[in-house]
Amino acid sequence: MLAKTLSALLTVLLGVGAALLVYWVLNKIAELLPAKWESRVKPYFYILPAYLAIAVYLIYPTILTVINSFKDRFSREWVGTQNYSDLFASAAFRQTLLNTLLWIVIVPAVTVALGLLVAVLADRLSPRSEKLTKTIIFLPMAISMIGAATIWRFVYDAQPKGTGQIGLMNAFIGMFGFDPVAWLQTSTLHLNSLLLMVVLLWAQVGFSMVLLSAAVKGVPVDTIEAARIDGAGERQIFFRVVVPQIKGTIITVFITVTITVMKIFDIVYVMTNGGFNTNVLGNEFWNQLNTNFNYGSASAIVVVLMVAVIPIMIYQVRHFKAEEAAA
Amino acid sequence: MRFRRHGAALLAVAAAASLSLTACGGSSGSSSDSKTVTIWSSVDQPVQDGLEKTLQAKVKPDGITIKWQKVENINQLIMTKIQAGDTPDIAFIPQPGVVKDMVSLDAAKPLDDVVDKSSLEQSMIPGTLDAGTVDGKLYGLLVSMNVKGLVFYNKPEWDQAGYKTPETIDQLNALTDQIRSDGKTPWCMGIESDTATGWPATDWFETLVMKYGGADTYNSWVAHDTPFDSDVVKQAGAEFEKLMFTDGNVLGGRSAIASTNFGTAGNPMFASPPKCWMYNQGSFITGFFPKDVTKNLDQNVGVFGFPPATAGGENPVEGGGDMATMLNDSDNVKTVMKALAQTDIGKDAAPTSSFISPHKDFDMSLYPNDVTRNIANVAYNATSFLFDGSDAMPGEVGAGSFWKQMTAWISGQEDLETALKNIDDSWPSS
Repeated sequence: MLAKTLSALLTVLLGVGAALLVYWVLNKIAELLPAKWESRVKPYFYILPAYLAIAVYLIYPTILTVINSFKDRFSREWVGTQNYSDLFASAAFRQTLLNTLLWIVIVPAVTVALGLLVAVLADRLSPRSEKLTKTIIFLPMAISMIGAATIWRFVYDAQPKGTGQIGLMNAFIGMFGFDPVAWLQTSTLHLNSLLLMVVLLWAQVGFSMVLLSAAVKGVPVDTIEAARIDGAGERQIFFRVVVPQIKGTIITVFITVTITVMKIFDIVYVMTNGGFNTNVLGNEFWNQLNTNFNYGSASAIVVVLMVAVIPIMIYQVRHFKAEEAAA
Repeated sequence: MRFRRHGAALLAVAAAASLSLTACGGSSGSSSDSKTVTIWSSVDQPVQDGLEKTLQAKVKPDGITIKWQKVENINQLIMTKIQAGDTPDIAFIPQPGVVKDMVSLDAAKPLDDVVDKSSLEQSMIPGTLDAGTVDGKLYGLLVSMNVKGLVFYNKPEWDQAGYKTPETIDQLNALTDQIRSDGKTPWCMGIESDTATGWPATDWFETLVMKYGGADTYNSWVAHDTPFDSDVVKQAGAEFEKLMFTDGNVLGGRSAIASTNFGTAGNPMFASPPKCWMYNQGSFITGFFPKDVTKNLDQNVGVFGFPPATAGGENPVEGGGDMATMLNDSDNVKTVMKALAQTDIGKDAAPTSSFISPHKDFDMSLYPNDVTRNIANVAYNATSFLFDGSDAMPGEVGAGSFWKQMTAWISGQEDLETALKNIDDSWPSS
């Protein structure tokens, strides 16, 4: 124990020391230059380690992943586009893509809609009940995805007919005399996928609500009053006055949730591990990597995911830049 | 670029920074012939403690110290560590498929000249060495095993009802019908197992394939020379449907199978009166039974091996277990491997854990109760020991499509033909 503590302390000291040393050396090198150049070059020198870290931990792995996606299962021999053609030839993978698409279409939109609804409705409550309502809705944010998935597994749990139901859903419908339903095993109309999405909604609506609520409160009251004087109804005020003024926040929330959804893994892994037609890209990647030990296939999935995320990222960056320019 | 002129300075800086980055990355692999031999395994702690005690005593005269580490999920860990070049001397691998992968990465060393194969063939159950054999060479040595395809029942109630242990699959069908016509539910069944849902169904299925097809057909099926979409596999499927899908045969009906946890599925057997009467599972399931049942295991629990297709015919048994693989072939590690191959390596583990020895000449009196002795007897009297097929198939199938398609079939989303065809299609081309 003592040895471990000491070695941990030593590691921290060494790490900090090395970092200090690097900056000290960089500074010295900059000072060796003529005064005019020194001030010009120094900022770049200081930002260099950060760029280096990005290169080592982000760009290098990305390039390696792309390369490995063209190699065999243990990344030893080139196989061309075999991994990609295998993936797209498999019906299961096409279903996985479709499921991922369903998540992307449904979850961000519903998160924003519910978040906005709660934000607007809570705005009309007394300050005390507004606080309470928001706290309750925000609470699930504090739970990890794994924890949330575990909790909801119990909600959806099904026991054989005639034995006691420990799942909330089945206990509830049992009160009305219905037979227990194996919720997570029912893929008719993607019911089980939708039930999995509920878990993410439960966890994410709080985040959406907090941001949107702040935006709604930031809408100048005089614009609303002006609309009211002009004879606008509540609905018109909401859609024509409030929403346009908080559009920026809505887009930000939408994009953030979309990126979360594209990477979705933990909920699906814990609750069904992609069984019963609930598989998504993130979970399939995990299975290829850790169950099948197929590094080529896993890399190919990551590349597919990366290619799909890039347009959203570009849009997000442009959006932020436009926001900044407007501010 | 303004940077370009200062290339040399930049290079020096980059070198310094990368040095500080790599400085933390060192690893402490064991040297080639150290007196300390490291072992990693995921076996249960009591089994590991027992094995370690005996092993340490055996190699102490050679001055060797065993450093045995229990790790989580050795299958994933060992593959990652092999790629990282930081491995133990010996690893206990529960899946033949992983042993095969280790061999194809040149990580596992052959054991043919390390252990005495001919004497092992005498002492071990026929077939046990085949599981760890890749391209004709032995790489994985089964040290501890579990037995699958065992049917457990509530002993006092069973004896009172006067049911007899079936000798053939036909008799098992007759018994099932008899129990049902007595107004009882013959089978307990559940295949839910968190992220691994479906594996108990593959065990069932494999048992049926080996009983109908025998050892050779089973092995060719596991190697995919006999496809899933073939007659013997369909015969196994038809028998499974007869036992499990017939109305009134399974507690909760067919639809409950996929949502009932395998660990607790057998517990309704011990209600009074029993809610279901038979549960087909591996030897480890006794650990999941209720405490007041396991307190008096021999009195409460009866067990028989899943019967063969024909009386007196070929009767293989399905099992799993942990195979010792050697990743470092120094002399000291070889000495440890030799010790692991001895019949009495389990003498401290057997009395205090769920350990079952794959050696037929193991001292049966060391097992803690009759249930364990009966289970061991099922294995020792089998015509051959066949390793869990889904563990030996490639991961895409064994832990992927096989589990999932069985689940889809059982829960009624697909028919048997479609499920079998889908599994065939998922078999990797290389």
